[in-house]
Amino acid sequence: MAQSSVALRDVVKTFGAAPVIKGLSLTVEPGEFAVFVGPSGCGKSTLLRLIAGLETPTSGTVRISDRDVTHVHPSKRGIAMVFQSYALYPHMTVAQNMAFGLKIRGMTKTEANARVKRAADILQMDQLLDRKPRALSGGQRQRAAIGRAIVREPDVFLFDEPLSNLDAALRGQMRVELARLHAQLGTTMIYVTHDQVEAMTLANKIVVLNGGRIEQIGRPLDLYRRPANVFVAGFIGSPKMNFLDGKVSASGVGATTIALPDGPVALPFGDGRIKSGDVVKIGVRPEDFRLARDDAARAFEGRVVLVEPLGGETIAHIALDGGAETLVVKLSGEAYVAAGAPIRVAVEPQRIHLFDSDGVAVAPKEA
Amino acid sequence: MNARQSLQPLLRYGILIGVGFVMIYPLLWMIGGAFKPNSEIFSSIGFIPQSPTFDGLEKGWKTSTEYTFATYFANTFAIIIPKVIVTVISSVIVAFGFARFSVPGRRFLFGVLIATVLLPKSVLLIPQYLMFREFGWLDTFLPLYVPSAFATEGFFVFMIVQFMRSFPPDMEEAAMMDGCNSLQVLFYVVVPVILPAVISVALFQFMWSINDFLGPLIYLSSVENYPISLALKMSIDVTEATQWNQVLAMSTLALLPSLIVFFVAQRYFVEGISLGSVKG
Amino acid sequence: MYGNRSEGLAYLSPFLIGLVVFTLFPFVASLALSFTDYHLQDRLDSARFVGIDNYASLVDDRTFKQSLFVTLIYVFVTVPLKLAFALFIAYVLNFKLRAIGFFRTAYYLPSILGGSVAVAVVWRYVFAGDGLINQVLEGLGAGGVNWLGEPDTAMFTIMLLRLWQFGSAMVIFLAGLQAIPSDLYEAAKIDGAGAWRTFFRITLPILTPVVFFNFIMQVIQAFQEFNGPYIITGGGPLKSTYLLPLMIYEESFKYFDMGYASAISWVLFALTAVCAAAAFSSSRYWVFYAQDEAK
Repeated sequence: MAQSSVALRDVVKTFGAAPVIKGLSLTVEPGEFAVFVGPSGCGKSTLLRLIAGLETPTSGTVRISDRDVTHVHPSKRGIAMVFQSYALYPHMTVAQNMAFGLKIRGMTKTEANARVKRAADILQMDQLLDRKPRALSGGQRQRAAIGRAIVREPDVFLFDEPLSNLDAALRGQMRVELARLHAQLGTTMIYVTHDQVEAMTLANKIVVLNGGRIEQIGRPLDLYRRPANVFVAGFIGSPKMNFLDGKVSASGVGATTIALPDGPVALPFGDGRIKSGDVVKIGVRPEDFRLARDDAARAFEGRVVLVEPLGGETIAHIALDGGAETLVVKLSGEAYVAAGAPIRVAVEPQRIHLFDSDGVAVAPKEA
Repeated sequence: MNARQSLQPLLRYGILIGVGFVMIYPLLWMIGGAFKPNSEIFSSIGFIPQSPTFDGLEKGWKTSTEYTFATYFANTFAIIIPKVIVTVISSVIVAFGFARFSVPGRRFLFGVLIATVLLPKSVLLIPQYLMFREFGWLDTFLPLYVPSAFATEGFFVFMIVQFMRSFPPDMEEAAMMDGCNSLQVLFYVVVPVILPAVISVALFQFMWSINDFLGPLIYLSSVENYPISLALKMSIDVTEATQWNQVLAMSTLALLPSLIVFFVAQRYFVEGISLGSVKG
Repeated sequence: MYGNRSEGLAYLSPFLIGLVVFTLFPFVASLALSFTDYHLQDRLDSARFVGIDNYASLVDDRTFKQSLFVTLIYVFVTVPLKLAFALFIAYVLNFKLRAIGFFRTAYYLPSILGGSVAVAVVWRYVFAGDGLINQVLEGLGAGGVNWLGEPDTAMFTIMLLRLWQFGSAMVIFLAGLQAIPSDLYEAAKIDGAGAWRTFFRITLPILTPVVFFNFIMQVIQAFQEFNGPYIITGGGPLKSTYLLPLMIYEESFKYFDMGYASAISWVLFALTAVCAAAAFSSSRYWVFYAQDEAK
């Protein structure tokens, strides 16, 4: 299987009067595992279907391996797709499902069967070949759907939320298998999901989408450490990042002071973009908080409202003194926190994120 | 409270059995009459023959014409089988067009389709007859099944469209990506999946057509082309005393195909109706 | 879904061709014919335009008026009765009976066979002077009735044949009844509603779409009834069962007056259309759709 790049240029897609994709461009490098992630309705599935050829862009181009395929039939783009509902043909066995596309193309029976066997070996599903879809479990059906994609030996694999119909345990297992598959085949893969855990664990490159536009593209840890805006910051990471509203009280390159309801916070970074008096948001991830030591420079004080003891970690919801704000804090292990008790937490200033009044990140920290 | 509760089922069963019996009795009586000698028919109300005989069946089969019922049965099937086949093929093709393609004016045309189901056919009768006369198709079976090749029975198209729409298009998209053109998708993927609806259509058309009387009446003039419906009517037209046991015998035989098909495929009838109406 | 418009049209083409050739063209042609004096035995192009003469003759035609009258009686008596009976039986049947399938079959079967010549023939015999019904009556001590010989009773036998076929409407009602979630009945029971009130306030309103559907179908079919009257009574006695479809048939194929017959068929069509339109426009007031999806 060749490795192909996929490039979208200025793609717009409107359904009737509603614009779903509002003009975006992106490139997926050969061999990359790219994940399109975003909330429902952000257009990620539509984008995938545009790459597949099941929809045609209203304007813009789609290129695969530098060939303009914008108006090329799906079966001639060198792609294979795994559908969310698996879309297996119910009246055919798994082997027949897999061989179907090959036979339509005129491949001989022997060659088709050989390919089916190879794919079955990769996925370890030999024993499923003679069964019909209704005799398979969810995970097995999914494997059959992937098998059907593999036999085509495509240049690009497309996955449309393939794990969303599986239960949590199976999902975890299949995630590992998909990562292994990518390592083994090396083919370019484009994967759509609303689950940011899947995105973080599988992707070489994540594309965060919102309302038909790209919010940020980058490697998983880049998106985690340096989110470009409030949306990405809140979308990546679970539990969600805490946001507190504040005002700039002093601004300069290399240092900024933000006034929060309960006192000032000094940040060791800044740029000339924001000015004194600007309304801003600061963001802190739950896992960046620690129980404050007595000598902590800047602590947040409040009362514990709810404790979620997960064993390996403890999540505490804290109502801050003097404000309507609630912080969600993730502490490691079985932390000693009790509901109703007062609590002090602190965070290292470098780990605080700053967003201007438009939600854009300010001076993202150096890696 | 308890008395009323145990009375209810009893009441229901009572009504159901009573009405059911009255309903079925004419049919039972007809079957019984087929095996009675002519004299017994008018003398007893029981449906079990006192002196059973095959006389009615034998003489009825031979009929008083130069053809036996074998000819008439053959004619019936020569009409129905092509009719069912072309109905199924054209209905599936047209339904596919309605269900999966964005054709300009689709909604309007679908409305027209439904309107043709409601259209009283008597208003089309005379011009259709004259048209077939101009074609030279009188006294042939063509006028009886050619129109069905053009999906003129909108009800069937409607039923299949509803069934198709109940499936998400994923499978068809997968087939498209496998390289199928629309006809291949229809044949390899869609038809196998909608098979229950297709069978319902075939069964309904079979039942409706086998009872068709007016069509054969106006188009077929030679006795040798008569289907069972006309032959039966002919048997009670005779001016001398009607041999009722023969008539009943042949009536029973005439209903036999419908009865067999119905009992074998009951499920499809009931499902087919609910498909077309309650969910429609 | 497949986007390609010309492909879609190709798939629809049989329907489009059939629509024009077998429906639209005859539809318009029959209207045109009704304004001519065309007779079957003549060449087609010898038809002369006679304006509304045919329709004018209908007004004075006693046979036509009789036919119209009995047709209306037939439709407006059998349809409500058939629907009511079908609903009643469906209601009785809607019960967790093990034998529900058996009964449903028993009632549905007549409606499949009922339109056939065979059943009409049997019916004629069942109501004959020394037929089954009279035998039963004599056995009970009552006198025999000349069913097919007297105008009133002849119409009764034809109507009975139609009512006998209530099974198809019943199956549809049954499906409709079974689609009503049992939670509603349980809520009603907790609210203290009795059987009658539950039926009229809950069951019937939810069933109105099904009632409407059945009503339209039955009315249209009733206006088209041909087999029964033709085979059982031949339209008599004294034209008491001479339904309009029969008259159309005889005028065309017995008296060969196709222009006149076309006019009658258009009157029948207009009548059916008016009834259907009335039903449709009134449906706004009494049909209640649970899900308001305008598909």
